Order: sequence, then structure tokens, then C-alpha cells
Amino acid sequence: MTVLTDVPAQDSARLTAGAKAALITVIVGAVCLVLEGFAPWLIQWPAAWELPATQWVGNFLDWSLNAIKPFARLFSDVMAYPMNWANFVLSNTPWPILIGLVTALGWYLGGLPMAALGFLGLSFVLASGYWAESMNTLALVAVSVPVALILGGAIGILANEVPKVKSFVQAVLDVMQTVPTFAYLTPLLLLFGFGPVVGLIASAIYAAPPMARNVMLGLERVEPEIKEAAIMSGGTRFQQLFQVEIPAAATQIMVGVNQCLMAALSMVIIAAVIGGFNDIGWEVLLTMRKAQFGESLLAGLVIVVFAVVIDRMSGTLATERKRYDQKVVWAMLAFAAAFTAVFWARLPNPADLTLLDPVAQAVDNGLTTFTQNNGPWLDALKNNSLFYVLLPLRIGLDQAVLPFTWGFQWTAQMSYGLFVFGAVIALVFAWRGHLTGGLVALILIGMLETGVSNLPWPFVLTGAAALGWVAGGSRLAVLVVALLSTILVSGLWERALLSLYLSGAAVFFCAVFGGLIGLACAVWEPIWKIVRPICDMLQTIPLFVFLIPVLMVFQIGEFSAFLAICAYAIVPMIRYTRHGLVNTPDEMMEAAISSGATDWQIMRDVRAPYAAPTILLGLNQTILYAFAMLVIAALIGTTGLGQSIYLALGQADVGLGISAGAAMAILALVADRIVQGFAEERRQALGL
Amino acid sequence: MTDTNTPAIACRNLWQVFGQGAEKALTEALSRSGDDADQAAADLRDAGFIPAVQDANFEVRDGELFVIMGLSGSGKSTLIRCISQLLPGTGGEIRVEGENVVGASKKALTDLRRKKLGMVFQHFGLFPHMTVAENVAYPLRVQGVGRKERLARAQEVISLVGLEGREDSFPRQLSGGQRQRVGIARSLAVNPDIWFLDEPFSALDPLIRRQLQDEFLRIQATLKKSIVFITHDIAEALKLADRIAIMRDGKIVQIGTPSDIVLRPVDDYVREFSKDVAKGQHAKVGSVMRDRGSETGPDDPGLTTAMTLDAALAHCMELYEPVPVRDDTGKVVGTVHPSDLAAALQVDET
Repeated sequence: MTVLTDVPAQDSARLTAGAKAALITVIVGAVCLVLEGFAPWLIQWPAAWELPATQWVGNFLDWSLNAIKPFARLFSDVMAYPMNWANFVLSNTPWPILIGLVTALGWYLGGLPMAALGFLGLSFVLASGYWAESMNTLALVAVSVPVALILGGAIGILANEVPKVKSFVQAVLDVMQTVPTFAYLTPLLLLFGFGPVVGLIASAIYAAPPMARNVMLGLERVEPEIKEAAIMSGGTRFQQLFQVEIPAAATQIMVGVNQCLMAALSMVIIAAVIGGFNDIGWEVLLTMRKAQFGESLLAGLVIVVFAVVIDRMSGTLATERKRYDQKVVWAMLAFAAAFTAVFWARLPNPADLTLLDPVAQAVDNGLTTFTQNNGPWLDALKNNSLFYVLLPLRIGLDQAVLPFTWGFQWTAQMSYGLFVFGAVIALVFAWRGHLTGGLVALILIGMLETGVSNLPWPFVLTGAAALGWVAGGSRLAVLVVALLSTILVSGLWERALLSLYLSGAAVFFCAVFGGLIGLACAVWEPIWKIVRPICDMLQTIPLFVFLIPVLMVFQIGEFSAFLAICAYAIVPMIRYTRHGLVNTPDEMMEAAISSGATDWQIMRDVRAPYAAPTILLGLNQTILYAFAMLVIAALIGTTGLGQSIYLALGQADVGLGISAGAAMAILALVADRIVQGFAEERRQALGL
Repeated sequence: MTDTNTPAIACRNLWQVFGQGAEKALTEALSRSGDDADQAAADLRDAGFIPAVQDANFEVRDGELFVIMGLSGSGKSTLIRCISQLLPGTGGEIRVEGENVVGASKKALTDLRRKKLGMVFQHFGLFPHMTVAENVAYPLRVQGVGRKERLARAQEVISLVGLEGREDSFPRQLSGGQRQRVGIARSLAVNPDIWFLDEPFSALDPLIRRQLQDEFLRIQATLKKSIVFITHDIAEALKLADRIAIMRDGKIVQIGTPSDIVLRPVDDYVREFSKDVAKGQHAKVGSVMRDRGSETGPDDPGLTTAMTLDAALAHCMELYEPVPVRDDTGKVVGTVHPSDLAAALQVDET
């Protein structure tokens, strides 16, 4: 493993790995810039060189999917039974009984707070008038979750029992985590046809991996002595597993159940995109398309309520062993039943309840007034961000600087000037002993001039390889180049760069602001008290719902997508930064204090370096989150791979859907491996 | 119990080597070095393998308390896991009551564990989701013993370790000492012949540790199990052991009675251990006495073979002539010169 450090001036004759990598990248970039005029193929991979990989994938999948289609259809027919049944039960149970059940369950799991949460949550759903739609959604979740739990549990146990399978399963789970949700849907659509069953199966497939992961992790983390005690007690393997190891891993497995539930809910809602059937996700989509933002927000809130209730209640499974008095449970159920019986004739049909309609109306009106009153200001924010930040980043200063926006025309001289400026900076840095930093600055300036979407591909490949090499040695570099090359030759390169640009911009924003917020939270506890529930909330909300508020204020477009991505992806950065900074071992802090360091010195010299690996992991999560949201954000207007996946879904084009999904997964995987590599390197440097 | 000639456990040329393809590497290393264990171990290390146990040879007699002592990383935990077959063993043989268990079938091992073996773990290894009674009864449960019957037996062993009244507690509600009592009770539930204890008291406070050591000796006095006991604490080893094996870097460097270890260490490593212990409290008169027949003086302060040197010295402080030594029955079995007692205590000073 190589170590990235700044070279002291006196022995800069021997370059560090980082400096070498940066130098090579600079040279390749410079060569590409010089040759740009003579060899346009350096910038744009010629269409003639593209392999029709998308078509191949499409043909192959079409063929193989058609082959298993009869079985799939049979399966979907079978699955339709429990689904219809769950649907029937849920939509025909009188609502007081259901509210009573959820409240009682809440009490049993978490006492008064959970009971109150369940009661208020469902009452809100009832009042919103989306009861019937919610029950349809819930029915899907109710069927897909057991399937996912069994599937995930079985995979997890299998991987635990057969070591040879383990690394394979791990790899598949890794990939599944990075493949965007929409990409799942296209082949499923082809297999199962339109309809709610697709959503059901998609959500079962999507929700199984977290369960499998947690089962594997839980079983792995059972104390070795507990396992040995089971062996020495003379248990057969079956007895060891089911009587000792699985119960001992229960807490971790319950975390899996919680994540499984949330994933299923999230996917069921997203699946509305491929054809609604009167569920709550469809309602959001419909009202969003009709620009009825008040209703859309209301329906979105119903989703949030469900997410929060399900998350918090199942969360107690993983944390508390305490269970509450069952008498209260029975009392609650009896009360609900009595209530239903007494008011049977007068129970309002939940669909007719419009208690919150005025609110929705008011929100709609308020929003219109708000946007009208603040129009100039909001427009200015949006346009300034677009023209002065996002656009130059995307197509480069040389194309983005126009008299129309910036007030002057970019000229070739300016480019030269900028490059000279960059070179001077690099020299100054190098002279002061920070050669690597100087070269990186030069590279960044060069990228700003060219624009991410216009970067020559040899430069991107070299840069990625250089990063991979510094982070994880030559093996990672080769892996990175191989993976990225598949995107290049399959003709998805341009779109991949566009995705890279938008997610890159969002990740950069999240890293800076999330890092600052995390720092503030670490330094000053009261801020964390405010930020924490917001973070909790943002992580509970299904991706889809993020689109509603940004859409309300900023309409469709790249800026809205950017905001939605940032809102979702900033959370891990905040959390990990704070966590890393706060968890400096007391002994280290005390050693620093007793050495007479000021607060600021402690932060800079002790806490920040110690937190670096954790913060890098946060950055890694942020990147993965950004990619996940990027695809969802395609609904409100982004270009790039996300858009392709979404289009493919509309046209049932499996080849494009899967290829674009794979490209997306590759980008995420490459980013993941590189950042993990740096984090690992830091951890080892700290001896953690 | 088997007949007294068969040792409870016998290990011959036992190796445990970690690494890919360790078995083959071990065979090759041994044939290259002409069965020179040290050379083979060095070869294996150079090749990137970890020879955690090297060529272990020892016997545990029926009813004997055999202590394996060594620092962390010396391979003692690996060794006990080999004997209990939690690790497969790379080479050599292990005979438990005469039968080789290396390479035995899964079923045979399960049977062996159900009937003959019990094990106590350093960090207790209690099942967190079971109550004390359920934990203790678990070895019976896996054999299909009915609930009532197994809980009744559990009750017996729980009383034996003095945990009455805590049957329905969960492990997390108990103190460390209590948890280890549960671990001990569980390992005794099936009334095994052979009892493995892997640093059972190391995770406990010194006071609790001494209390449990004493109780352990009390239990052993009535049960008379054949015991393999692992520890890194020389004082504990000397206090409990009938015989001690001292391990270093995977090798057994000395096997002997506590007195042997203290008075006749084979090398500096072992001497270093015994330096810290007050020899007078651990070495017995029997280990320094001469044969009967040599002349004795007029005094008879009443020394016995089982007396510690300190106690013996206290009895004949003023004497300058050899005195008789008696065994448990009061028969004179040898003599000892008071100056020998004093000299034995000063071995490490030279």
C-alpha cells in the first residue's frame, strides 16, 4: 500500500506515489489539450469504434427473458393470490380496527411513545383521504416483505454455511446495492408485464439484500466462544445454527428486518412509475404531473408517515429487549372492536374524508403566492447557480462564458492565461514542498476550463487509474480502467460523463457543506440536537418524496435534481464527520490538552486526522447516495445515464436499461473502491 | 471411568499449523528436516505458515489436573482447541481415553462431546438469549433429554456452583463471577469425564478469581475429573496443578510438577516465570528431600512431604541436623537437611 504524503522540498527528487500519479495525469491532459485540434477522437469516442454492446445485452436478455417468461408469468399468477388476499383483508378491515391494531403493536413494541406514534400516524393517513391508496401500498409491502425476509435470510445462512459461496454472494450483494432501482424494473417489466405484481417482485428483490447482509454479518459476529460452546455442548450443525447462532445474532438480524421493511416500502412506491394501480406512489406521481403540489405534498407526507411508523417500530426490535404489558394490548384491541361495533353504521368511508383538503389547497395557494412574491429572488438563485456554477462545470468555462450570461466572450487567450495561472500555482506549491497539491490544483483548473462532459477520455482513464493506483495499488488501477473502458466502448461514455458531472457537483457540495455542518455539530452539541432529527428524517423518507418540495419551488430542471440529490446525499457526510470527530479517544484528547494545545490545535492536529478514515467512509456513502438519487431525479429532468434508464423503462428497452444501469453501477463501484482504498490507507497509517 | 493404565488424554507429535495447504507443507517440512521439530517449525515460519502448536507430546492421567501455562500467543488456546477438536489438528494424534480423535467422523465427535467432554471458556461463551437454567441444560437439550428432566439436572449443577435462585436470570443480568459459575455448571451438566477449562478465571477480578479457584478445587476434590486447564498466570498454575506444561511460541518447553517448575526450571524462560512467585509457598518438601537411610538428628519437627518449603522452614528454623519427613500416613519416607530447604529457596538468586 502506498502512502500519500507531501514531499519535503529537500528530497523532492524522489517523488511520492501521489505526485507521480498526478504528474502523469497532468502530462496526459496537456497532450490531449494540444492534440485536441488535430485529433477530435481524443475528446469524443468515435461512433464507429463503439461496440453495439447495448444491443447485444438487449438481444441476449430478450432471448433469455423470453425463455423463462412462462415460469415468470406462472410465478406472478401465484404471487397474485397472496397479494389480492392481503389487499382484500386490508381494504375491508374497518379503519378503527386497523388503527387499534397498529396502536396496540406500537404499545407492545415500544410503550407509550410508539403507541402514540402509531395512533397519530394512522389518524393522519385517515384524515388525508388517502386511506384506500395507502392500504393498497401496504398490501404490497405486506406480501413482498415476507418473501424478501425468507429469500434474504436463506441467502445469508447459505453464505454463512458454505464458505465458498460467501465471497460470491458478497460480490453480488455489492453489485446489487449499486445498481440503480429503476434498472431492476425494466427486465422485470418484460418478465411479468405491467401491473402491481411487478412492483411486488421488484420490491422483494430489492429488499432481500439488506436482510442477507445483516444475517451474514450477525452470524459472523456471534462471539467465537458462543459458537464453540454450542459445538462442545454436542449440538449438531443444525442445532448450533438454529438454537444458538441465529438467536444470538437476533439483534443484527432485526436491523436487517428494519432495513428490509424500509427498502420494500421505498421500492413499492418507486414501482408506481411503471404503471399505477391506485396506490400512494401513483397518487404522488399523478398529482406531481398535474402540478397539484398541495395534494402531492399531502400524499408524500402520507408516505413519510408510513416510513416513520414502520422504521421506528421495527427499529425497537433491534434495540430493546423490553416488551410491554400485554393486557394493554388486549384492552386497546377490545376498545377498537367495541368502537367499530358501536359506530358501525356511522363509520365514514375513509375515501370521503377530506379533512386535510383545505390544508392541501392552502399549501397550493400559499405556494403560488410564495413563488410569485419571491419569484425574482428564487429565479436569481436558480439561474446564478446554473450559469455560474453548474454550466461551467458541465461544459467548461470556454463554452459556458458567453456575453449573454457572463457579459463577455471567452477567448483562447483567456484559456492560456488560466493554464499559466494554474502552472504558477503548481510551481508555488511545489516550491513550498507540496508538489502533489500543486499538480492536483492544476488538474482541477484544467477540468474547469474544459468542462466535465468535454474531458478527453484518455485523460479520464489516466486520472481514474492514477487515483486507483494511489488508493489501492496497481490491481485497483487495472480494475478501474477495465471497468471504465467497458462504458467507453459501449457508447454510453457521454452520458456517463454527464452523470458524473451532476453527481460530482452534488457530492462536492455535500462534502463541503456536510463536512462543515458535521464539524459544527461536533464542536457545539446544541446544533447536533437540531440537526440529528433532521438527518433521521431525511434518511427515513423514501427517495421519491424528495422530489416534491424541490419541484414545488424550482420546477423541472437540472437545478431541482441537483438540490434533491444534495438533500438526500448530504446526510451521511454530516453523520460520519461528526461521529469521527466526536469519537476521538479520551486519552488522546487528554494528552493533547496536557500538552497545552488550544481547542483549534486539538481539532486540527488530533481530532481531524483521527477522524479522517471515518470521514472518508462518509464521503463514500455520500457518493453512493448521490448515484442512487441521480436515477430517481431523472423523473424531474436530468441528462445522462439516469435519463437513459428512465427512458428505457418507458420503452421497455431491456438492453438500454440494463446497460445504462450497469454503467451507473460501474461508476458507483469505481468511486466506492477508490474512496475505500484511501480510507483503508488512512486507517492503516493510524494503526486502526 | 476407564482402567487406570490408559491415560485420559494422550497427545503424540501434535501439530497445528495455520495457512493455505498447511497439512502438505507440514509433511514436507518434517521429511526435509528429518523429523526435527524445531527445524521444521522454522521452515514453516519462513514459508509464511503459522505453526501455532509444534510437536506437542504429553499425557493427562486419569483424574489429573493438568495445567498448560504460557503467555498470550504461546499457542496454549490453540492446543486446547486441538484436543477438544474445535480445530482439526494438522498432524499427529490425540487419544481420548485410548481412541484417536484426529480425523474422527463428525458424528463420532458429536457423540464424544455429548458424553465425555465439557468445556469452560475465558469469556464464558454463554448463550445471551437463554436463562441460566436453559444455558446449563443446553448440552442435555441437544441430546433430546426432556425439558423436565434436563431442568432437574441443571438444578443440581447450579446448586453445585452455588447459583441457586438465579436460574431464571439472563446472562446479561449477572456479574462476571456469576457468569463463569454458569459456564462451569453448563460444562458439568452431562457429567463429563474430561473437563477443558480455557483460562476460566482470567477475565475476573483478583478477589473473585481466588474465590472461584478455591471453589474449583473443592468441586474437583469431589468429582475427580481429568482436567486440562489453561492459564497465563503462573501463580494460578502452581496453586491448582498436579502437573504443569509450560508453552512458548508453540512449543512445550517443560512438563513437571509445580515443585519441578519452581525448583528445577529447564531454561531461563521458565526461570523467568518462577522468579516472581514466592517459591516457598509452592514448592513442597517432597521435592527436596533425600532418601531415607541418611542419618537424622535428634529432633523431629514433624515435616510431611506435602508441606510447603516455607512451612517446613518455619518448623526447623533453629535446627542444623537433617530431620525425618513423613508421608500422609505418618510413615517416614525420607530426610531433609534444613540448609537444603533454605538453599532451594535461593535457587534463583544465583
